[in-house]
Amino acid sequence: MGTSQNENGNIYFNCIIYISTADTVARGDGMFDLDLRSRKPIYEQLVDKLKELIINDVLQEDEKLPSVRTLAQQLTINPNTIQKAYRELETQGYIYSIKGKGSFVNKSSKTDNTEELKKMKEELKKLIAEALFIGVSEADLYSLIDEVKVLGGGGYPND
Amino acid sequence: MINVTNVSKKFESESVLNNISLHVNRGSIYGLLGSNGAGKTTLLKMIAGIFKQDQGSVLVNEAIVFENPSIKEGIIFIPDVLYFFSQYTVKQMASYYKDFYPNWNQDRFDKMQLILNLDINKKIQRFSKGMQRQVAFWLALCAMPQLLILDEPFDGLDPVIRQKIKNLIIQDVAEREMTVIISSHNLREVEDICDYVGILHQGTFILEKDLDDLKSDIHKVQLAFKGEMPAVLLTEVELLYQEKRGSVILFIVRGQEHEIDRIITKYKPVVYDLLPLTLEEIFIYEMGDAGYAIENILV
Repeated sequence: MGTSQNENGNIYFNCIIYISTADTVARGDGMFDLDLRSRKPIYEQLVDKLKELIINDVLQEDEKLPSVRTLAQQLTINPNTIQKAYRELETQGYIYSIKGKGSFVNKSSKTDNTEELKKMKEELKKLIAEALFIGVSEADLYSLIDEVKVLGGGGYPND
Repeated sequence: MINVTNVSKKFESESVLNNISLHVNRGSIYGLLGSNGAGKTTLLKMIAGIFKQDQGSVLVNEAIVFENPSIKEGIIFIPDVLYFFSQYTVKQMASYYKDFYPNWNQDRFDKMQLILNLDINKKIQRFSKGMQRQVAFWLALCAMPQLLILDEPFDGLDPVIRQKIKNLIIQDVAEREMTVIISSHNLREVEDICDYVGILHQGTFILEKDLDDLKSDIHKVQLAFKGEMPAVLLTEVELLYQEKRGSVILFIVRGQEHEIDRIITKYKPVVYDLLPLTLEEIFIYEMGDAGYAIENILV
């Protein structure tokens, strides 16, 4: 969500919904897409994406990551950028590399989603503030939460 | 791979390059940016060994490149305006290239024909502008150069071919550590494949940096506070630019993301967005910082 201003000097809020076209993760061959037009540096996107795949078990323990060469060719991005992302993931402990063999997913790496949680909470706070502003009541919010739970979101078993 | 040290070049009395230095590592894709007339093409032609510098040294693979055929065998330069012999077909042009470039790869030439789907028996000058450019890339990549110098390379190519060519270049960079220099005034064009960029302006480098570092080092912040903005905030961050739009304040700040984040959240803004800048925006603000007006830089 961002804020902008029109010619009359009024501030309006615009909520940008990012619809990811990159959700097509084909298991095994490591295919995913990056947003080359994004403001975010490509190597950061790459690090985040791979982390996500590792945390969500799409890439499993000791699984081999695609080689720098293959990935560079698949994504049409600079091999040096990929090398850099792999190095970063290695420092952060998500992957390990064996000389001459490639990079592999590390063991105990799927614990850290604090950053994600923090981000999500921030987003929710903003949305809730906006909702309260336009007149959604607290009770409405609670009933919304119940509604979402019934739909099976959030990992709450409903039986 | 490329070492340009303290080079100056004049054409008659007009000074084009002033004491510039440039270093490009093997396997890197270097983006050379700048306005028209900044000296990009002159610099590229010196690295290709076509022009001789007035002062300084130009080394490729630690050897002087000017008038040095053994080094030039590993260099391909694709100029912004292409030149082919009149009446030559692709096939004839290829055999001409084969005579000059000992690493010529005929197998690849045949394979690329299937990708590009151009008739090798057709006269090159009868091809369209974009197709001629494809022929130039075709010949260049089959010569298996160690150094590929491209002057405004993607002009006139449709998006599909553009992506194909980029892909072929990246393959060579990944597989045999080819080094590439790309000049462009279109920032968007180079943002995705370069790892290093240099901006040339009026014959000197304004900026030379790793592209990712460049992006993660400078941020755009949008803020609004319930009351007045706490003035101390300004002293805590390295500010490049600020602007007030109604009650929303726009900052361009230099520094690492988490550091800026830490400082700003302290003051509890009601609206807060932190965005990395696009390459275009970085240029605008970095140049403004260096005292250059944007009109001179962006085309």
